[in-house]
Amino acid sequence: MRIAGKASRCLAMGLCAWGMVLHGSAVQAGYLGEWRINGFLDNDTRLRHEVGLSKTRNTLRLEGDREFDDLGAFTGNALTFKLRGTYDGVYDLNSEDYGRDAGGPICLEDTSGFIPEGCVAHGRGAFGGNNPQYGVFNGVPGIGLGQFGFDLANNPNDGMIVLGEPLHRPGGGVAFGVPVRPCDVDSRGCLSGYMDGSENDLRFPEFADGDRLDWLREVYFDTSLMFFSPFSDNEQELFLRVGKQQVIWGRTDLFRVLDVINPVDFSRNNIYDELEDIRIPMWIATAEYRMGPVAALQDLNWQVVWNFDKFRPNSLGQCGTANVILDAGCFFRGMKNLWDNGGTVSNFALVPPILGQPGMAMTTDFGPNQVGIREAKLPNWTLSNTQIGTKLEGVLGDVSFSLNGLLYRSQLPSLHGGSEGPPAISPFANLLLPVDLQLPELLPGVGQYNTEPRQVPYLIAFDIAFPRVKMLGGSLDFAIAPIKTVARVEAAMTWGEQFPNTLRPSLYSESRVARYVVGLDRLTFIPFLNANRTFLFSLQIFGQHLLDHELEQRQLGQVGMPDWKDNWIATLFIQTWYLQDRLQPKFVMARDWKAGAYAMQPSVDYLLSQNFKVSIGANVKFGDGAQKFNDCRDCNPYPPFTAYASSGGPLLEAGPIGLTGFEPLGRFRQGPLGSSDKEDEVFITLGYQFF
Amino acid sequence: MKRISRSVLAIFAGTLFTAPALAQSADEVINQAFYPYKAGVPTVPGVDVGVVIDKNNADQFKAVLDPVTYDLLKKGVHPSIEVGPTDSFEVHPKYVEATRQNIGKVKIVGGNLEGYTAGRPFPALPSSSDADAGRKLAFNFRHTFSAGDNVQIKPFYWKYRNAATGKVDRTVEFQFNFLNFKHRVAEEPIPAVSPNPNDYFRGIYGKAFSPQDVQDTQLMILAFDQDQKASDGYLYLGFQRRVRRLETSQTTDAFLGSDLMIQDFEGYFGRVAEMNWKFKGTKTLLMPLYRHNEQKLSDEYEQPDGYKFVAMTGQGECFPNVTWQLRQVHELEMTPVDKSSPVGRRVMYLDSQTFVAPRTLIYDRADKLWKSWTIGHTSTEHHLPSNKGKFAAIYDSFGMFDVQNQRCTTGQFRTEIDASKSPVRMFTPQFMRSGGA
Repeated sequence: MRIAGKASRCLAMGLCAWGMVLHGSAVQAGYLGEWRINGFLDNDTRLRHEVGLSKTRNTLRLEGDREFDDLGAFTGNALTFKLRGTYDGVYDLNSEDYGRDAGGPICLEDTSGFIPEGCVAHGRGAFGGNNPQYGVFNGVPGIGLGQFGFDLANNPNDGMIVLGEPLHRPGGGVAFGVPVRPCDVDSRGCLSGYMDGSENDLRFPEFADGDRLDWLREVYFDTSLMFFSPFSDNEQELFLRVGKQQVIWGRTDLFRVLDVINPVDFSRNNIYDELEDIRIPMWIATAEYRMGPVAALQDLNWQVVWNFDKFRPNSLGQCGTANVILDAGCFFRGMKNLWDNGGTVSNFALVPPILGQPGMAMTTDFGPNQVGIREAKLPNWTLSNTQIGTKLEGVLGDVSFSLNGLLYRSQLPSLHGGSEGPPAISPFANLLLPVDLQLPELLPGVGQYNTEPRQVPYLIAFDIAFPRVKMLGGSLDFAIAPIKTVARVEAAMTWGEQFPNTLRPSLYSESRVARYVVGLDRLTFIPFLNANRTFLFSLQIFGQHLLDHELEQRQLGQVGMPDWKDNWIATLFIQTWYLQDRLQPKFVMARDWKAGAYAMQPSVDYLLSQNFKVSIGANVKFGDGAQKFNDCRDCNPYPPFTAYASSGGPLLEAGPIGLTGFEPLGRFRQGPLGSSDKEDEVFITLGYQFF
Repeated sequence: MKRISRSVLAIFAGTLFTAPALAQSADEVINQAFYPYKAGVPTVPGVDVGVVIDKNNADQFKAVLDPVTYDLLKKGVHPSIEVGPTDSFEVHPKYVEATRQNIGKVKIVGGNLEGYTAGRPFPALPSSSDADAGRKLAFNFRHTFSAGDNVQIKPFYWKYRNAATGKVDRTVEFQFNFLNFKHRVAEEPIPAVSPNPNDYFRGIYGKAFSPQDVQDTQLMILAFDQDQKASDGYLYLGFQRRVRRLETSQTTDAFLGSDLMIQDFEGYFGRVAEMNWKFKGTKTLLMPLYRHNEQKLSDEYEQPDGYKFVAMTGQGECFPNVTWQLRQVHELEMTPVDKSSPVGRRVMYLDSQTFVAPRTLIYDRADKLWKSWTIGHTSTEHHLPSNKGKFAAIYDSFGMFDVQNQRCTTGQFRTEIDASKSPVRMFTPQFMRSGGA
């Protein structure tokens, strides 16, 4: 843990403040005139293994509501607001790992055999003209070869980490430098409007986007219109809620099968915070026709949800912060930097077999606009880009059920590359071939690559898109009385989701996806551990099946979609209560079946007083860790230069033959648990209600 | 023909002689059930209005005290009880009339009531010779009119107290609502909410407003008319914003950390089928029934309309500071059918006029006294102006004293019988989903 003296004083001051809080007088939920007001102050401090302080997040929340008199036929009128402001001190207390001093110069693995050290500094790769150790593969000294090479002045070897750190070393696969400092300190690789947080944006996330007003977390107005319809003798209700809000569908915890209306902020604490705290509220209008009992149904409701807010994706975490789910933010930032400025990529260019062993590859300097990510195409606000859903929910006998349908935009990014990616400059432009291969990619006759930027099939040059998705699903729950257990089931099918796919020239394809969760809850006495209070055991199995999954075995390995065709994640939650519920030990365990990844989170909550709560715990992951998948180095977008002919690949045709590496697609196999394998933490959270 | 004539005559004669007798019997049953003090309130020498019973004179009044109250008085834990006047807690005339119409028509078949429409199912005084007397009393209790057809308790302050030190560990603010779906007698819709496809009998809805760890928690339990069927239960957790179904056979957990179990609500909140019932006799005992407006009330939690809550007293302020009055009560012993229950047995004292349960003694599986459960009741006629004329013995205060752990939970609240405040639409999962009350 590297906390400077100044930081120590800050921490001490913080503890003093908490000490004052502890000795303050007890308060209840308060009233301010007609308003019911609550105020909360929380601190979440985490220490990460081999890192040190990873979070000291202070959150101030102010929540209120008030009821209003009936307005004509409208009853139950109420206005609710929830304000939230956060300051995460980690960017001041541990700026060496997260903040303006993070990162540094890097050395990128090279398996070519030309480099005795086994790694080269960023900017000293093959073909860039800056590393004579590569011999003829250095290109013209100071100039390089073709369009390879980049200007280190625009992309210096500082403020970076190697992609994949600390989960894995490159392991013979691709890797590149990723800038990690806040975007106002180092703008390299920042994706405008998507992952471009300044230091203050990261410190104070609710104030990062002036247009979104995230500090105004929720504000909505409720009203009900009571009426009689010709369909029923009973009075019925049309319930309306309009404003910035969370709309929650489904019956399961953690997994978002139906609960997909609001995007989620995974940057706050990966997948481990309550969804209520990390759903991103949107401007939404909901209408519920509450029919009450209808025929054999004890209750029936029809809800229409219109999310009229400007589209917003999930927040996956900006590289250089503590929570970057799937490490996607680092991959994106590194790729964006590669596109904008060029850069050095580990183990990329195959050493000709005559000079080395198969599999040896040179770390290569690419120029700007050759590979990487050009931009994130966030949908603008248009009426057609708003999202709409409907739900029919009811109770039939002993079963509660819902049927759900939603037209929305994927909140997860899809990388459109290759033939649908941005027009890219060939690094081989201006290189003359001794023969005319009559390839469409070559200028006719002279055997010279086209110098004009163009879309190149299988090329790892991408734009980020958020495709339209249709979802149909449902849920139900019921009690199984003989075993004193409640069962919860949720299932959905989507159309339009997109997945990486190295079999396709665009490097992605659509797949229908079936997702389902089965949950079982049981309260069970374990008398020798807790004589008069039960333990809650909650087991959930989440399954995902890709109906249009594509995977093929090629010469060197599997190619196609890295996502598993079928996978399951199981979670087990155990909790009990002691001392009039003031002491609550909890244990959560999760296993990602195919990834072989596990997470465990034991914790204890203790209510020190009416208004003051402390939680301590640990979050530990273990298992198989990083996974490999075809990385498309072998996709041969520029035949014959990029062919893997010595490994059996075609000389003149593009397409992968199964060369694998951890990056970039292994993350889809290791999943969020495996991707955070090296992020073990201990934590203490303090919560105080001051009003 | 002669033989037929004689038979007809015999039947006719029988009718002549038995009809008045049956009518008298019905009146008698009704009078005994609902007007036990018509001829005079119970008297016991020395138990006079204004007498204060404490550890010094408790022995003198042992016969009119339940054994735990006697013991707590002797130990000074419950410092004193002041005797108040015995009132006739008039039960709503429509409930009485429904009872009259139903006399002799109700049977217990397969653990469920058959032939029951409304009112008290078994109004006749219980008999020790009736092997099923306990269960009949249990059904009477299940269908009591203590909360009217609809009732709201709001605000509802629960204090979790350390009985040894008097320290209030937590204060939880609730709202509770009750609704009878069926067997309604006083407020529209009568006799039942319709449609009611699931055939619910009664619903209870509760919401916690503070403190933060339980804020916005909502609970709803919907009991079926058929007692043999396990209730539907739903829980909404504020931090999840999701309605979860509850398995309702597990009602013996401490409710949100208090000393109450869900099973303790209203005296006993479970199915008749979950207990074995034994009638132990009818007695005259002091019970915490009183006139709310004539008590020494608390100045805590000032209300806009000037309503005041019952104050607490005794060790740790664990006991409602109210007067007790002599009542005719039925003693009922209950043992759980489920042997894994932490409760060994419960002894419940049912007020014979109203069938509310002001006192319950709860023993653990080793048959050691675990908790002493007191629910103070007042007549609606001595409470809020809006309650006047509702003729119910409403809940007005409570104290659950955990003898073993020296803790208690007390309840101070305001009960209002008002159908508009407990509407049917409140008793749906969808109402909970939208945030609830």
